[in-house]
Amino acid sequence: MNVEAVIVSACVGAAFGWLVRRWIAAARRRRDGSCAGGCGCADKVGKGR
Amino acid sequence: MSPEPEPLVALVGNPNTGKSTLFNALTGLRQRVGNYPGVTVARKSGQCDLGPAGRVELVDLPGLYSLAAASPDEQVVVDALTGRISGDRRPDAVLLVVDATNLLRNLFLASQVAELGVPMAVVLNQADVAREQGLRIDVGLLSRRLGGVPVVLASAWKGEGVSEVRRAIAQALADRRLAVRATWPAPVAAALDEVTAALRSDLGVEPTAAEAQRTLFDAAGSTAVRFGWTGPRRDLVLRSARDKVRRGGYNPFAAEPLAHYAHLRVLLEGVVEEGGAARSASAAVDRLLLHRLLGPVLFAAIMLGLFASVFWLAKFPMGWIQDGVDLLRGYIAPKFAATPMLQSLVADGVISGVGAFLSFLPQILILFLFVGILEDSGYMARAAFIMDRLFSWCGLSGKSFVPLLSGFACAIPGLLSTRTIEDPKARLATAFAVPFMSCSARFPVYALMCSAFIGPVYGSGWESAAMVGMHCVGLLFAVPVAFILTRFVLRVRPQPFVLELPRYQLPKPRDVLWRMWQNAAEFVSKAGTVIFAITVIVWALSYFPRDPAVADRARTAEPSLTGEALERRVQAAYVEQSWMGRFGKAVQPVFDPCGFDWKITVGVLASFPAREVIVSTLGVTYSLGEGAEADSGQLRTAMQSARWQEGPRAGSPIFSLAAVLALMVFFALCSQCGATVATLAQETGGWKWAFASFATMTVLAWLAATGVYQAVIRFAPPA
Ligand SMILES: Nc1nc2c(ncn2[C@@H]2O[C@H](COP(=O)(O)OP(=O)(O)O)[C@@H](O)[C@H]2O)c(=O)[nH]1
Repeated sequence: MNVEAVIVSACVGAAFGWLVRRWIAAARRRRDGSCAGGCGCADKVGKGR
Repeated sequence: MSPEPEPLVALVGNPNTGKSTLFNALTGLRQRVGNYPGVTVARKSGQCDLGPAGRVELVDLPGLYSLAAASPDEQVVVDALTGRISGDRRPDAVLLVVDATNLLRNLFLASQVAELGVPMAVVLNQADVAREQGLRIDVGLLSRRLGGVPVVLASAWKGEGVSEVRRAIAQALADRRLAVRATWPAPVAAALDEVTAALRSDLGVEPTAAEAQRTLFDAAGSTAVRFGWTGPRRDLVLRSARDKVRRGGYNPFAAEPLAHYAHLRVLLEGVVEEGGAARSASAAVDRLLLHRLLGPVLFAAIMLGLFASVFWLAKFPMGWIQDGVDLLRGYIAPKFAATPMLQSLVADGVISGVGAFLSFLPQILILFLFVGILEDSGYMARAAFIMDRLFSWCGLSGKSFVPLLSGFACAIPGLLSTRTIEDPKARLATAFAVPFMSCSARFPVYALMCSAFIGPVYGSGWESAAMVGMHCVGLLFAVPVAFILTRFVLRVRPQPFVLELPRYQLPKPRDVLWRMWQNAAEFVSKAGTVIFAITVIVWALSYFPRDPAVADRARTAEPSLTGEALERRVQAAYVEQSWMGRFGKAVQPVFDPCGFDWKITVGVLASFPAREVIVSTLGVTYSLGEGAEADSGQLRTAMQSARWQEGPRAGSPIFSLAAVLALMVFFALCSQCGATVATLAQETGGWKWAFASFATMTVLAWLAATGVYQAVIRFAPPA
C-alpha cells in the first residue's frame, strides 16, 4: 500500500463516517420533536404565528 | 422586618411590549437592581404605591414569548412564578403586559401563565399605537371572557392609564380571580395526570399544573431537571405519556400551542374591531390582487417575472463563479501531477462536484431576496388565499395551505407546521401533499437544466416559463393525490377556515436581507459539508476499481485515436467500468423509457438521499470522463456535447429537449430527500405513511417522466 492510497482511503472513510454520524444525530433530534436540520424551525412553528 | 410583608406582584410579558417603561412609571425612583442566585439574570424590583390599597413590591421579570424554558431568562421566569427561587416569595399576583396591537400572539403567554393558578391582571399597553392603527378593543368583553380578571388599556410611554393599572393591581389582589384556562384534549389531559402522579410518587413534591405541563411539553426537560428528576425512570414515564398523546392523534410537542391558540381564538372572537385608513387601502389593493380571475393571473405573472429576473440577474455572477472554479482547478491540478489518484479526487471530485453546486449561489441569493420582499410585504399570505380558493375542492382544508406554501422553501418546516391542523386525518393528507411542493433543493436542478439547454436554444422567455412550469408540476400532482386521499382513503370532513390576511406594508430591508443571508449561509454550508462528503464518496465509486487492462483495451479498440482524444476515451472507459458505472448501466434499462442514459441514472440514484446531489454527481462523472487535466470542469459544456454511444439513439445528444424535460419532471415529483421521508415517519408516528409517500412519488415521477419523454420525441420537432 502506498501513501497516496492511504490518504485517499482516509478521505473517503472520513466522509462516510461523518455522514453516518450526522444521520444518527439528525434521527435523535427528530425524536425530540425538533427539526433535524437543527435550524429551530420546529420551535418557531409553535411560538410564532 | 415588618411582620406583614407587602404583597409581591410580578410583571410578565413578551419582549418589547413596554414592560420596563410601565415598571418605571409604576415605581418611579423606588427601584432596586440585584441578581438572581446562580445566573446572570438581573432582578429588578421596586415599590409601587396603590393609593388607598397600600403598597406592593413589584418585580420586573425578563421578557419572554413562552414559558417553554430554554434559556436561563425563561427558566428564571418559570421558577419565580412557581416560587422556587430561594429567598424569593411566590408572587401574590401577576401583572401581564400585552402589546395591544397583537393580542393573539401576546396572549399566548397569558394562556400559559393562567395555568400557574396565580391571580392576574392584564395591561393592554401601546394603546396609542392601537388607536393609530384604527383598532378598537372591547376591554370589558375580554375581561369577562377571561373570567372577570381586570383588563385595562394603557400607554406607558405617554403615561396614559397608569392609575387604572394601579387600580387593576389592587383589584387583582383583592378579588384573587384566576383567568380561565385552556381545555386540554382528553389524551393530553390523561398524559398530564400520568406525569403529575409520577412526580408526586417519585419526588414527593406536589407539582402545579403548569409544572406538570412544562415537564411533559418541553423537549429540553429543564423543569424536570430542576426537580432533580432524571434517569431512566423519568425517560420511561415521559415516553409513555408522550406516546399516549401521540396515539390520541396529537403531536406531543405541538399539543400545547394548539390547545392555547384554540382557546384564544374563542376568547378573542369579536374583541378586536379593525377600521381606519390603512385597512381600507389594503382592502382596495386586495380587491385587485385577490380578484377571482385576475388574482391567479397576476400571481402567475408575478412568479414568471420573479424567475425571469433571477435568471437575468444571476447570469454574470454565475459565470464568474464558474470561471473561478476553472481557475482554481487549473491551478491546483498540476500540483498533484505526481499522484494521479489524489489529483483526480481533488480536481474531478471535490472541485468539480462542489463547484458545480456552488455556481448556483447567485440564483439562490436573488431568489430569496425576491421571496423575502414578497413575504414581508404581505403578498405571500394572499398567495395562500388564492391557492385555497383554487384548490379547496380537492379536500385540503384552508389550514393546509400554510404548510404547503412553506413546502416551497423546504418540505421539513412544511411538515412540522402541519402540527397546527387539529383533525389528524386532515393533517395526514396535508403531510402527504407537502413533499410534492417544489422545494428550493429542486431549484439548482431546474436551473442547471434550464440554463444549459432551454435558455441557449429557446431563449430566456421559455427558460423562465419552464421554471414556473416546474414549480406547478408538483402542485398539479398533489391536488389529485390529495383528492383521492381525502375523499376515498381517509374520508376527511371539510373544515371551515378563515385565513387572517396581514396588512400590506413596505418590506423592511433588514428583515429581507437577513432572510437572504440565512438562506445563502445554509446553501454554502451545505456545499461545504453534505455535498462535499457525498461528492467524495461518489468520486470513489466512480473512480474505482482501476484495472490497467481497461486502458489497454480502450487503446487497442480505437487505434486511430491519439493524444487528447485517446486520453479522453481511456478516462471514459474507466468511468464506465467503475462500480458506479456498472451499477448505472445495470439499472439504466429501468430509466430508458424516460430517455436517461447511465450517467443520468447514476445521478438519479445518487440523489435519493438529497435531490440536489445530482448536480455535483453529474459534475463528478462528467469531469472524470474528461480526465483531470482537462482545462475546463464546466459541467454545462460537457453535458451539451454528450452523445449516446450505442443503441438506437447512438450519435444523438443525450440531453435532448425530451430528456431535459423528463429529467426535470422526474425531479419535480420524485421523493428524493431522506430527511423528508424520516420527518414524515416521525410526524405520522410510523413508517407506513412515509413508505407510502415514497412509493407513490417515485412511481408517479417515473410515469410522468416517461410520458413527457415519449410525448416530446413523438410530437415535438427536433431542435
Ligand atoms: N408608542 C408606544 N411605545 C411604547 C409604549 N410603551 C413602551 N413603548 C416603547 O416600546 C419600546 C420597548 O419598551 P420597553 O419598556 O423597553 O419594553 P420591554 O422590552 O417590554 O421592557 C421602547 O422604545 C418604548 O419607548 C407605549 O405605550 N406606546
